[in-house]
Amino acid sequence: MKQIILATMLAAGFASPVMAEDISLGRFFGACENAGSDTKTSVGEPCIIQSIINAASEQIDGVTVNTLPTDWGNYYDQLKAAYAGKTPPNVHVMHRYRVAEFAGTGALADLTDDLAGAGIDVSDWEAAAKAGVTYNGKIYGVPMDFHANLWHVNMDIMQQAGLVKDGKPVLPTSVDELMAQAKLVKEKTGKEYLIGDFSQFETGVRVVMSLIWQQGADLYNGDTATVNTPEAKAAIKVLTDLFAAGYADPKYNYTDSQQAFLNGEGAILINGTWVVDYYDSQAADPAVALKNYYAATFPILFKDKAAWAGSHMWAIPAMLKQNDPAKYAAALKVLAFINDHDGDWARTGHMAVRKSVLASDAYKALPHRTEYATTAGLARTMPPSKHYGAIQDTLNREFQAIWLTNKDVDAALSDAELDIQDLLDR
Amino acid sequence: MAVYGWSGKRLGQKSSAALLLTPFVVAYLAFLVIPFLNGIWISLHNWNLMAVAFDPNAKEFVGLRNYERILWGKNIVWSPAASPLVQWSAAFVLLSTLLLTAFGKISRGTAVLVGSIALILFVACGFHPGAGGRWYDRRFWPTVGNTILFVALTVPSITIISLSLAVLVNRESRAMAVFRTIFFLSQVLSVTVVTLIWQLLFSPRQGLIANVITLFGGSPIHWLTDERFAMAAIVITTVWWSLGIAMILFLAGLQDISRDIYEAAALDNAKGWRAFRHITLPNLKRTITLVVVLQIILHFQVFGQSHLMTGGGPNDSTQTLVRYIYQTGFRDSELGRATTMAVFLFVIMGAFSLVQFLLGREDKD
Amino acid sequence: MQSNRSYYWLVTLISLPAFLWLVPTLWMLSLSFQPNDVLARTTSSTFFGLIPLPFTLDNYAALFSYGQTPVWFLNSTIVAVGMTLAVLFVSTTAGYALARLSFPGKNFVIIFCLIGLMVPEQAVFIPLYTMFADFGWHNSYHALILPRVAVPIGVFLMMQFFKAIPRDIEEAARLDGVSWLQIFWHVMLPLARPAMTTLAILTFLYAWNDYLWPLVSAQKREMFTITLGLASIQTNFAQSEGLGRIMASGVIATLPVVVLFLLFQRYVVQAMTAGGTKG
Repeated sequence: MKQIILATMLAAGFASPVMAEDISLGRFFGACENAGSDTKTSVGEPCIIQSIINAASEQIDGVTVNTLPTDWGNYYDQLKAAYAGKTPPNVHVMHRYRVAEFAGTGALADLTDDLAGAGIDVSDWEAAAKAGVTYNGKIYGVPMDFHANLWHVNMDIMQQAGLVKDGKPVLPTSVDELMAQAKLVKEKTGKEYLIGDFSQFETGVRVVMSLIWQQGADLYNGDTATVNTPEAKAAIKVLTDLFAAGYADPKYNYTDSQQAFLNGEGAILINGTWVVDYYDSQAADPAVALKNYYAATFPILFKDKAAWAGSHMWAIPAMLKQNDPAKYAAALKVLAFINDHDGDWARTGHMAVRKSVLASDAYKALPHRTEYATTAGLARTMPPSKHYGAIQDTLNREFQAIWLTNKDVDAALSDAELDIQDLLDR
Repeated sequence: MAVYGWSGKRLGQKSSAALLLTPFVVAYLAFLVIPFLNGIWISLHNWNLMAVAFDPNAKEFVGLRNYERILWGKNIVWSPAASPLVQWSAAFVLLSTLLLTAFGKISRGTAVLVGSIALILFVACGFHPGAGGRWYDRRFWPTVGNTILFVALTVPSITIISLSLAVLVNRESRAMAVFRTIFFLSQVLSVTVVTLIWQLLFSPRQGLIANVITLFGGSPIHWLTDERFAMAAIVITTVWWSLGIAMILFLAGLQDISRDIYEAAALDNAKGWRAFRHITLPNLKRTITLVVVLQIILHFQVFGQSHLMTGGGPNDSTQTLVRYIYQTGFRDSELGRATTMAVFLFVIMGAFSLVQFLLGREDKD
Repeated sequence: MQSNRSYYWLVTLISLPAFLWLVPTLWMLSLSFQPNDVLARTTSSTFFGLIPLPFTLDNYAALFSYGQTPVWFLNSTIVAVGMTLAVLFVSTTAGYALARLSFPGKNFVIIFCLIGLMVPEQAVFIPLYTMFADFGWHNSYHALILPRVAVPIGVFLMMQFFKAIPRDIEEAARLDGVSWLQIFWHVMLPLARPAMTTLAILTFLYAWNDYLWPLVSAQKREMFTITLGLASIQTNFAQSEGLGRIMASGVIATLPVVVLFLLFQRYVVQAMTAGGTKG
């Protein structure tokens, strides 16, 4: 037995003069078994990303990619444990809001000076996308998309309420218009105006944050929490007024809200870019009540242009750059390949981050993409913080307490401010 | 007796014991005790999960500060009416215990036990922030409260229901075997599946429960988003999920009670409830203690139900200690604080189990 | 003995709660046979959703299109069986010693063991993880099994059981000059079958559904357990858009354990063998 192992090891060592770099790649998005390597025809997040990875493995000389897919809910637990055990994957996906935490603890490789050499043109990235992967002036990753909240519109209901003009929905440009529209929809159709998961997922927080930014405020500033502000109250009041008047239901979770929208129970659903193609295909199904579907950019209700958007991005561990330059170079090639296929990834419904892709005809030809093209210009997220996850959960908890348990707005906001200040002080 | 090859005949009682204990003790030390001591060591530090991995010097020894930051607050004062309901009930229990002991109605052991629990409650619930003061972590104690409430609702329900079921289905027949399987079946599902099914069941829109209620003209309950029902919802889920093992343990315990006893008792006309009360219960004492202690330990560590069904909400009403530990350790990477809470959890689980042991022992006298 | 009539009453009495108990599982089974796009709109299409109409086998077919599903099953089986055997060995030996042998420091060992019962998993998780990483043990079967071997619950359970066995059985054997180890092996273990079966079911279940530890320890797909593998297939928001598939994976992952329980439950609920014990 020993001899066999030894012989195999020797054979492996001598037989391959050009060492192929095997890159391990960690990601969520779900698994896709027979994705192939055709990046133009694959369907759905898991298969599109896997086809791009498979193509990278096939097409990049001297690099093979070994995917380690894992489940969404616990991705970061696994990733952090892997870092703590000093065995992180060579390349991995993450959300932009985690950059401060990962880069801040020294986990991620600084890619700033190596991107151009790998064939990645940073100047082609949308400004907001570049900002998302930058921490303390250095670039720690390659952005792959924006995923923003859109207003998914049931055009038939809007039509009934007289809110369609030139084949486009008429969306509010102020809070008053919003309330008037909601009233109109209720009176004309008896249906809800706005649907969303306000009880579980972070939709509510993201809406409130967007409305706060639109007023020129933010939830924290450097090391000071600024949650209990008139702007925050005004933002929350938009939602609570809708809830109070019965124009929206705060108790839906993600599944409920989606079912309600597909079943034609409301005019507008607030949900991410990731469902555009899914709703498009559902609207084509005769069994589905939703017939005419439109994907609109999040409206500006106050003065400033801003709406929440996250980004998926790819990063490389710092220890790989330090310990294994050859493998680091190979990992960069994989990142460059993914960057080159930004347009393919955008077929998921996520917005591309490269200006050249956004301007391309192929991109515009994708269903509904032109309808929410302005979203890239609004994309905004909270200031970087190591505690982003905890801060977002705090806001989610307190905001939901306001509309689910009637917690006093002042009490909720001052509790949130206190908790966030504690986090920022740590 | 037959000859059994190597028989360890020369081994005395002590060396036999040592030999038999070795596998357990070795594994126990290596995979539980040492990591736990390591955890306690971590709790004395400001310790970021990732930063310390890259730079071992990134941790900072802070002594007991994590404990202070979690358990204590600024300007905390004590008063006998901070939480009147709990404190005054505790005071009432304490006084009654003293009186009953004075009149010799209850044994001294019980008195000391119940009395000290009441005293601890009375004292512990009296702390609150004074003027201008605050808890350093305002969510910690409410979270402890939620966890204890969850245990207090779940453990007795499961114990009583599973014991009744075990007694009822403890017969050799095909129908009973089917019943046993049905009640055990839910136990084999993983937490992800269980929480998903129940989330759907509880859904006010499409959930089975809501549909049935609507059918009879009621209006659906918003189980998971209503402060009044969220805890009940995760308790119901937990009872459904984890009753099977308790039932199995009771069934195994019932096997140990000899048929003769029941037959003898039947002659004295002790059947049904009387037989249960005077034969089954006393003989199951050991099993009951086992089941209760196991459940206290299991359910104090409730996590998935709260994490996946309610996300700790609404308004933190189902936030539990282990979820808090998990978030602090993994989401926030603050290992020092997380292990501090874990050590605290260890202490209260120990306290509750100890009480249960002592109660079990007490009743025997 | 019970008369037939009261027996039938009893069966009827338990039938209702038993049915209610079964409803969530039936629902899950029914959902697993319905198309995902229908479920995205409604989970109560036919008779509250309890009847799988429209019917499809696609969800199961999709699961088995993942080439590694059999490997994950094999891994789960190896880990669960390995863990169960190890736990049985460690628990019966220690449980017997603590219940029936007298030696100095016994009470200390018992208390020491009981204390371990209260250590929450979260307190040891990270130290254990880094320890295994230092040894380079991750992505292996022993990494999945070893941390779960020394369960104080198992020792406690076996100790309680052995304590209940009457002394006279042992004393008779001692008079015949049988050693303690022989008594353990030839007398005690056979008697312990119900308790061991209970412990085995508990451990096997635990191992089968174990999630967080395998998640961080087994990063390579070849080392995934079935629970982990099925979770890794899921897309984001799968509960809304791939509900049928999640339910199907729940059914698939659960089936082996149910079968196992059906095979072994008679050992749990079986009058003790001759010379059995009295309470």
